[in-house]
Amino acid sequence: MALITVRFYGLWRSYLGIDSATLQADHINGALTQLEEKFGNRLREKLERAGVRLEGKMQDYSLILLNGIALRNLSSTDLKQGDVLHVFPPAIGG
Amino acid sequence: MESNTDDKDTRRYIAKSAESYVAPDGKTYLVISLKTTASIADSQRTSPKEVEIAALQQGIIPCRYLRNIGTIGLEGQIKLLQSTAAVVGAGGLGNTVIELLARQGIGHLIIVDDDHFTEQNLNRQIMSTEENLGEFKAVAAARRVKEINSATSLTTSRIRLTGDNAHSVLNGAHVAVDGLDNLSSRLVVEHACRQLAIPYVCASIAGFSGQLMTIFPEDVGLSSLYGSSHSCMPEQGIETRIGNPPSTVAMIGALQVQEVVKIITGVGTPVRNQILLVDARECTIERIKLRR
Repeated sequence: MALITVRFYGLWRSYLGIDSATLQADHINGALTQLEEKFGNRLREKLERAGVRLEGKMQDYSLILLNGIALRNLSSTDLKQGDVLHVFPPAIGG
Repeated sequence: MESNTDDKDTRRYIAKSAESYVAPDGKTYLVISLKTTASIADSQRTSPKEVEIAALQQGIIPCRYLRNIGTIGLEGQIKLLQSTAAVVGAGGLGNTVIELLARQGIGHLIIVDDDHFTEQNLNRQIMSTEENLGEFKAVAAARRVKEINSATSLTTSRIRLTGDNAHSVLNGAHVAVDGLDNLSSRLVVEHACRQLAIPYVCASIAGFSGQLMTIFPEDVGLSSLYGSSHSCMPEQGIETRIGNPPSTVAMIGALQVQEVVKIITGVGTPVRNQILLVDARECTIERIKLRR
């Protein structure tokens, strides 16, 4: 299993109360499952307390990059030791 | 870039009218006032912008730019006056960007927006007032620019930028700036900027947070963030739930203007191939390198 780092930014960091965490996974799907299991409920509870109700999993309403590459653009979804997942909410307003 | 003023009479009048100004640090500068600039422009049948450029080329600083020069130098100010920035969207970010670029001394602004001010704009769109609700944002922005800086010339387009009109609307711009509120329009601007070979200063906000990336034609762009399949991209983000507060708009709009100044003057390093994430809630600014 590869040890990877997850870094949270913006509101996700504030609501989760942590900058980063480590996960062990060999494939991006495993990492996303763990992300949801470990942090999904906590994030949704915080958001709901702030009056924001979001449906679905954390990955459905987060921007997630693996080593700076959008997950949809990955050529390989296998993970290796030292990989970094960047996770933050999309901001699109102006 | 526009051609420099080389009218000898204009230069002579400017040199004759220059005054000494002793700055708080004791250093003496040759300056020219706003009133004198207007008077020379009027008598020489030229524009205040051309007078300001001619003054700066002689080392004479228009008083209004005295506090710019320490940061960007005479050359930087001349480059700004000779440059055109297109601001696409004159709402929250766009209003702040337009106001600051006019004060910074941009030579020409292209302002594009087809919308009118409404009450829900009053919290953050700094050119909206209780008096001008219902007015076209582009018209109000143009009026404000004229009030701030007579040297900044204007082109206003009360239209929505589309793939069909983007080239003609952005034509002549040296840089485009994002004042939009949705992803699909940003993709249109990004595509047009790549084709026109100009940089695009892209930014957005949600709640206490904002993000910014400066995209040169050869750089990674929005697809690096949202994926390359447009159908997978979100139209709007979490700001629809957590709002667009005024201070976040001002903060990110100001950073966009800094990017424009850096691009045009060559001073500093634009945020290229990276996303800048700013969070005022926890007072953090971070950058993530983006890859294709």
